[in-house]
Amino acid sequence: MRTQPLMPRRDFLKTASVATLSALAAGYPRALLAEAEVEKPIPATADTIIVLWMGGGMAHTETFDPKRYTPFEKGLSPDKVLSTFPKIDTAVDHIKFSKGLENVASVMDRGSLIRTYTAGDLGFILHSRHQFHWHTGYAPPQSVAAPHIGAVIARTLGPRDPAVPAFINIGQRFDVGESEELKAFTTAGFLGSEHGPFNIPFPDQAADSVRPPGGMSPDRFANRDKFFKRLLDANPVYQNGSSFQRESLLRSLDNAHRLLSSPSAKAFDISQEPLENIRKYAPSYEPGKRFLAARERFGTYEQQNVGRFGLGCLLARRLAEVGARYIEVTTEYIPFLNWDTHENGHTKAKAMKEQIDAPLAQLVRDLEERGLLNRTLIVLASEFSRDAMLEGRPDKLIKNQVDVPDKMEDLKHYGMHRHFTDAGCVLLFGGGMKRGYLHGTTADERPCKHLEKRVVIEDLHATLYRAMGISPRLAYETEKRPFYVTRDGLGKPITDLFA
Amino acid sequence: MLGFLCATLLPWVAIAKLTPEQISSLPPPASKSVHFKDDIRPILESACVKCHGRGKAKGGFSLETRELFLKGGDSGVAAIAGKSAESLLIELVSGIDASNVMPRKGSKLTSAQVGLLRAWVDQGISWDPGITFAKQAARNLSTRVAELPPVRGSDHPIDRLMDAYDLVHASPKVATVEDRVFARRLSLDLLGVPLPQERMDAFLKDSVVDKRQKLVDEVFRDQQGYAAHWFSFWNDLLRNDYKGTGYIDGGRKQISTWLHSALVTNMPYDQFVRELIHPNPATEGYTKGIVWRGVVNASVTPPMQAAQNISQVFMGVNLKCASCHDSFINDWSLADSYGLASVYADEQLELVECDKPTGKKAVARFLYPQLGELRSDAPKTNRTARLAEILTSRDNGRLTRTVVNRLWGRVMGRALVEPVDDMDQEAWYPELLDWLAEDLASHGYDLKRTLRWIVTSHAYQRPSVDLGERRAADFVFRGPGIRGMSAEQFRDALSALTGVWHSDPATDFDLATGGDPAVEKFASIPSEARWIWATPGAQDSAPPGEAFFRKTFTLESIPDRATIVALADDSYTLFINGAQLITGKDMDRASFGDLRPHLKKGQNLIAVQASNSAPKDKDKAKEKESGKSADAPKNRAGLFVFARLETGASSMAIFTDATWECVTNNPADWKQLDFGVSRWTPAVAVATWGESPWLGKVPVTRALSLAAMHGQIRESLVEADTLTTALGRPPREQVVTVRASTITTLQALELSNGETLARLLKQGAEKWLASKPSNPDALARELYVKALSRTPNDAELNVAREMLGAKPDAPHVEDLLWAIAMLPEFQLIY
Repeated sequence: MRTQPLMPRRDFLKTASVATLSALAAGYPRALLAEAEVEKPIPATADTIIVLWMGGGMAHTETFDPKRYTPFEKGLSPDKVLSTFPKIDTAVDHIKFSKGLENVASVMDRGSLIRTYTAGDLGFILHSRHQFHWHTGYAPPQSVAAPHIGAVIARTLGPRDPAVPAFINIGQRFDVGESEELKAFTTAGFLGSEHGPFNIPFPDQAADSVRPPGGMSPDRFANRDKFFKRLLDANPVYQNGSSFQRESLLRSLDNAHRLLSSPSAKAFDISQEPLENIRKYAPSYEPGKRFLAARERFGTYEQQNVGRFGLGCLLARRLAEVGARYIEVTTEYIPFLNWDTHENGHTKAKAMKEQIDAPLAQLVRDLEERGLLNRTLIVLASEFSRDAMLEGRPDKLIKNQVDVPDKMEDLKHYGMHRHFTDAGCVLLFGGGMKRGYLHGTTADERPCKHLEKRVVIEDLHATLYRAMGISPRLAYETEKRPFYVTRDGLGKPITDLFA
Repeated sequence: MLGFLCATLLPWVAIAKLTPEQISSLPPPASKSVHFKDDIRPILESACVKCHGRGKAKGGFSLETRELFLKGGDSGVAAIAGKSAESLLIELVSGIDASNVMPRKGSKLTSAQVGLLRAWVDQGISWDPGITFAKQAARNLSTRVAELPPVRGSDHPIDRLMDAYDLVHASPKVATVEDRVFARRLSLDLLGVPLPQERMDAFLKDSVVDKRQKLVDEVFRDQQGYAAHWFSFWNDLLRNDYKGTGYIDGGRKQISTWLHSALVTNMPYDQFVRELIHPNPATEGYTKGIVWRGVVNASVTPPMQAAQNISQVFMGVNLKCASCHDSFINDWSLADSYGLASVYADEQLELVECDKPTGKKAVARFLYPQLGELRSDAPKTNRTARLAEILTSRDNGRLTRTVVNRLWGRVMGRALVEPVDDMDQEAWYPELLDWLAEDLASHGYDLKRTLRWIVTSHAYQRPSVDLGERRAADFVFRGPGIRGMSAEQFRDALSALTGVWHSDPATDFDLATGGDPAVEKFASIPSEARWIWATPGAQDSAPPGEAFFRKTFTLESIPDRATIVALADDSYTLFINGAQLITGKDMDRASFGDLRPHLKKGQNLIAVQASNSAPKDKDKAKEKESGKSADAPKNRAGLFVFARLETGASSMAIFTDATWECVTNNPADWKQLDFGVSRWTPAVAVATWGESPWLGKVPVTRALSLAAMHGQIRESLVEADTLTTALGRPPREQVVTVRASTITTLQALELSNGETLARLLKQGAEKWLASKPSNPDALARELYVKALSRTPNDAELNVAREMLGAKPDAPHVEDLLWAIAMLPEFQLIY
């Protein structure tokens, strides 16, 4: 399947987004940029960005930056343990991965790997606070509502197809764990809700969000709209006049209706995909079976490792094909679950790698096969890394949140259980990034911290923005002051990464 | 002091004399004769004044006046008249030394601008008399008694002012809107819901001359409706919510019950502010702020949050920039922000500029020291008390102007000063702002009085205008703006239309005071009502186990309303004529039910199965440990049931007392009327209802009020859901003073296929069909009247009829409800 030429943003604005334009007129945030940069816009190397979020803290030494392997044995001292898996080869000679990532290893020649991402220095660890920092570039609390990077991109570039929301967020529920904290950054903030996330907690049920409400047939839905328009025509209050408010309401309703009845909406429906394709992303997928609704924290379907994340990757591919702009797929952050391994780190890391390995590689392959990888940037990242011993940064340790015994007596003691912020992996594929490139090195002995080419969030964001053709010095005005898309406009793109 | 501080950070470096090559590379002086006012002032204003004017003198250099300009700064003289090539000013702005260019921030000067400056220096540094870049006197700060213009028609003070205003702006006189539009607008603006149909009918039929005045009085009497509506407004301003960041680990505290109660009782605004500023346990959440775990940036510590929020909300001053560095957008300095924050700091604060500690200690002071002195060395509680005094002092004309401006903006669609958080701007009609502010201060700080003036004015009653593109400086008032409903207004309007309300408030609000008189009437419980149980002394202790109670009563006809509530220690299930109606086990929350569907003419029976659980060992241990009860732990038991049946004006109460009967063993068929009579004994009245050992009078009344409202709980009193979040009910992580009033595509999507709305409309359709005629014409008419306070015209009726079909079923009604709710006529306030 080849995608149609994409509608330029200008046309979208003309046809669809009167709400945006009127919002601008009504004093919504205005973009500010140095004149020179307006005259010479940065050429984009990607049109779409897919962020694969490893929520909870993915240990670098257990995934993409393996160190010396020490097998488990009773009585072993945890400070002897750097990695709990052996190393494996990848398609690139000098890059080794941790066992369990064989599929990703086989496509490493298509991507770049940063090993020296260091998380913000925010003191006592709170996952959601670091996630806030990663996704907005700012640490909370903030005196203005900081927008998510997806919202910044949506606001700056708009959707590629008017029928596909510009910012789509897949896989995170907001009624579990630190939900209020997650909501605080999963937002367009001061940019206005027009640019906010389109949330799809369950990828297998994504079609519901672009279909008529539950139980309503397409015919009835179409009829309802037809009758509405006739009632509107018959309405005496506005027959002789119009208002800005009225126009914006009607235009938005019209857009929504078009989106719901657009052919692109089919992209949300995973069941349209051949079963064998779905199973490449989620091996034990059963048609018709649905993930359990919210609040069921430990849904049985999920526990069988059917791969909500895998289906999320498949959905991301389908949406990228029809013109989504920013897509995020998360393994889901729930305190003490998934990557948040406070105990049993080895066993859990093994399970998490099973979750991500096949779908990530498949996503790269599928996009490549469809000729989309060049213009689609895939970014895999996490809020920070983990270590068996160190909490925080080696030169600025913070209060431990996890008790680590002197000697391991049980397999559950084996793994990376503390929060480590001085190194971390970011994997990038496509979208103008180099192929088979390794950026930065880390120490081979504890502390396994970054040694050179340190990457901080401002620079990582600047890199992603640069790839999308957005200046890191772009600012939006709010309350008469500039709010920069990278903190204080200081982000510097990592030029070494660009092909 | 400040100049010194900044000089150490951004030195005004002295440079060696320029070489001839450098001089020749300077942009040439402009060849024309320059005028300071037109050519030079704009350059200085945009490029220099932020750091070297308005009270700031970075590098010791100020150009507020010609004298100061000539004097120069720490690095020497800025310019020598006639010698531009040798002037430091020109050297710095031309960018000869790339590492030392002025201005430091923002765009550099163009060659043309440098040329103008050179010409100005060469031509003798002229400076029009009277022009300075000095700090401007604060606007809207001191109190002022505005003279009212002479009466031209109406003697309403706002009319007198607006008549004069219209004359100046040559605005033609316009008639007020029709009664129906006025009543809808008024009710939505003051109570947040459209005027209920019965009240609308009565108002439209009323023929007295001052009926609008009467309606305003009636609307203001609904203290609960007023509180429910303005609660959202104040939650936005005070950043208060039931959920949000920080609550997870005690880093935040609600002020919900205090705020709601303050609105119900219309607490005077000065007292309202004092209680927030000088906190008590009920209000301390406001100044406590939001505390995130971990290291927090100096500009957003809790005391800084307090300073930012207090200045923004109560004084219309933005300190956010000045929390990090001296502001570039206004005259506030870092020291000003720290001065206010210091009031709330537990230890003396050190000024931190852009993450760098300065070593300089903050001194507690208010933004406007002329309003009163603060003592840094006083204990914190004295400082907050003093700050409260200063803020609410009679001399502070900013406090009152800021709030009346917000109120005007809220009901008129555009405030007198815009943006509403920048009270240093001039109002489009200063006399009106001043008059409203002074009237508020001199009449007990009664905010309802201000609102009353506004809504009774001719200005408020004019036809609405399209404010869409008219936010510019040349604004001229013609009438109130057309506005979109807030998320809360929309949800409540839908509830009124469908009868599907929220049923449980999010927290323990006072819903009894000043609400619907029917609610108060319902909740007036006869003094004879008792808590009952099967055994004497149950108010102290009763054996664990079940008890069965019953009461028969006779009805001559089915009443119009019949609501029953019950409370029990520990739990109960209540049956009416054999049908289970309600159960409960929460002593703080009475369950309630509608008896009507189960009632019949003649004899009826209420039967209750109640249970007294065995005390848990854990509870016993806890009670002993806390030393609360040295005696044996108590295991009280009791049941309280109250029902009110109303037909027209007549009303009948049924309540638990010694006339109820009981048994303790499970009798067969006890829920039915034809039970075997002999084994039942009279229940024991163990306590009067108001002085029971379980609950005081107030909570019981509250619980009953809630029941009497039939669970008609307003949106603002519950947590936001998917629908209202999508429609812009904000997370209260930041202060929100203006909400977007246009609908975006994502919001429209939620309206088109959102589950929450779909469910609500489905329930609503079922309710309509259950209680209303299924004749399509009659149904369509009633829907229109209920939704829009008018009957449909022929064309609308035709469409609605077609939509409903000959025999309307729930999906048809649901779709019509949706279509009506999407009409701009339903969604907009006009």
